[in-house]
Amino acid sequence: MKRNKFILIPMIILMLLINVANAVSVSANANVPYHTYNYDYWEDIYYTPAAYVPNGNISGGKLEIGVFNSPQDIFVGEDGRVYVADTGNNRIVILDNEMKLERIIEGFDNEDKADTFNAPSGLYVTEDNEIYIADTNNLRVVALHEDGSLLKIISNPKSEVLPDDFVFSPLKITVDYADRAYVIAKNMFQGIMAFDENAEFTGFTGTINVTITTSEKIWRRFSTKSQRERQAQFIPTEFTGVDISPDGFVYATNIDGEGQQSIRRLNPKGQDVIKKGMVALSGDLTWRLSGDYSGASRIVDIVYRGNGIYSVIDKTRGRIFTYDHEGNLLYIFGGIGSQEGTFRNPVAIEEKGEEILVLDAYRGEILRFLPTQYGRLINKAISLRYDGDEASAVKVWEKVLELDANFELAYTGIGKSYLAAGNNQKAMEYLKLGMDREYYSIAYKRYRDDILKENLSYILTGITILVVGLTVRSLVMKRRGKGVGEDE
Amino acid sequence: MSKKKKLLYPFYVISHPFDGFYEVRHRGKGSVPLSLFFIFLFGLSFSLNRRYAGFVVNTINPRHVDSRAEIIGIFLAILLFAAANWSITCLMEGEGRFKDIITIIGYSMLPMILVFVPATILSWFIAADEEGIYYLLLGISIIYFAILLLIGIMVIHNFGFGKTLTTLVLTFAALLIIIFIILLLFSLVNQVILFLQSVYTELIMRA
Repeated sequence: MKRNKFILIPMIILMLLINVANAVSVSANANVPYHTYNYDYWEDIYYTPAAYVPNGNISGGKLEIGVFNSPQDIFVGEDGRVYVADTGNNRIVILDNEMKLERIIEGFDNEDKADTFNAPSGLYVTEDNEIYIADTNNLRVVALHEDGSLLKIISNPKSEVLPDDFVFSPLKITVDYADRAYVIAKNMFQGIMAFDENAEFTGFTGTINVTITTSEKIWRRFSTKSQRERQAQFIPTEFTGVDISPDGFVYATNIDGEGQQSIRRLNPKGQDVIKKGMVALSGDLTWRLSGDYSGASRIVDIVYRGNGIYSVIDKTRGRIFTYDHEGNLLYIFGGIGSQEGTFRNPVAIEEKGEEILVLDAYRGEILRFLPTQYGRLINKAISLRYDGDEASAVKVWEKVLELDANFELAYTGIGKSYLAAGNNQKAMEYLKLGMDREYYSIAYKRYRDDILKENLSYILTGITILVVGLTVRSLVMKRRGKGVGEDE
Repeated sequence: MSKKKKLLYPFYVISHPFDGFYEVRHRGKGSVPLSLFFIFLFGLSFSLNRRYAGFVVNTINPRHVDSRAEIIGIFLAILLFAAANWSITCLMEGEGRFKDIITIIGYSMLPMILVFVPATILSWFIAADEEGIYYLLLGISIIYFAILLLIGIMVIHNFGFGKTLTTLVLTFAALLIIIFIILLLFSLVNQVILFLQSVYTELIMRA
């Protein structure tokens, strides 16, 4: 009996502890309808506070203009206007800065004839409020002035590099500061099509090279011609979404079934210059292989948010992944579902002020997300670091760590500033928590040198004593040996 | 041979492998329990190295280090290798007995046991561009192990070098066959159990 009691008490305590632990982990994310997590250095998932929380939605019904029918793209202009490509209703809906209806563009005046859109599925608005519309089923890109009058039409590109039977059917568009248009066209696997300001096709940018593994090569070598024809062809993936940063770098997304790289940053020459960090730039790092929500993330749109930060949206699991300019994964939120704040078929992502807007084609809704303290702090710290102000970033990182003690980037940030300040021991502690081996080594070397320098006199004394002692000992031994020899 | 001598004998073996292994086979100087203890020690030092190596050289997720599973795994792997080697060398007129094979494997691991723990301690005091020393130490001990194992197999079976290599290749083939048969057995036994279970359920439902 006595024994039982002794076992019982620790058992009860243990069970209580487990309960408490469960309660804590549940309550951390209870107020949002999705998981908010991140990957640590080991690519294990850990749960974080929510970086963004749902903040209502906007639908055609609420605006009293009839429901959106499978809208495919949104864009937020420089002045805060929101443009929606209401694809199924063949119209462009423009909302003002307060997200109230401003006007609807149903058509335009094309050389004195009324013209309309047919399934417009992408749009972009320049700084001068010129609206570029990818008028997909009319096989053209229409550019309108702010007042709705025609600026230019990009259609039927002619070039030697294009096949004769190529049908130009634009899906997504972005325009740089020099009015060059970058268009993602249907069934165009060679890259993003670039057009100059006169609507002339100038070439492809950001071609994705096909990678064939060695085993596939060997397999193909051994198969006959008719077998080869029946095998799946190696086709580069199509681009899915595109955005542009103010300095003219095109950010593009593509679907990668292997989950290796879905995000590209193209310089004006069309080369991919994105910086990769520890994680693959492709959404989730691990996924289920079969069943619901299985497979690699299918990244369908990207938004460049300034200060090197960009967010992408994943269609498979409805998650929004945000990265910084070094390719670090900052935070993950969002999910597929039927609750408010979740998606059915997310197709486009934009940023308006500090809000993130996501367009859901199935629901015909724009979902709004507002940053929490946690999300704001991370954004701020990254922005400060992007500007090179690491010292002020440290204070923000410390606040981030109060909310999320697992955030490795914060530890690295603080560690580096300690290193710069010469506090090597603290720097080692933080850089180790941030899993930054390179900078940890620098800190450790300095720390080791310091210790060696401080104790140099002791070490030298020790060595001297040792040497002298050994010499004396060997001399004595020799003497004694001689002595013994004399005795005999 | 006294106990103390038996304990110290492996140190003689690693410095004089040909003579040492010969005496293990023909003069009964080896000890199977000692060899098993060495294998256990190696498993332990391997796990210790994985878990406690310095931050700069340690890229192993500490959550994935399970020393019990690792030690058992090493024992199983060695048992499998020894069984495969024994079954092949028996057919190829090797003179070694099963206990000799186990003994030489255990004794050959001594250099790794002696190096892994000091190397782990050393790794706490090195920075990023000094990793070479650490990896060199580990590498030397592993190569030393491989050479000792090769010599051991050669000596206890009284093989030439070429024949040893041939038997090693065949050993790996035998290894695969053994694994295949074990898996087959497992799935067959599983089927039988399932069959009996369904018979039992059938009877219960009818009654």
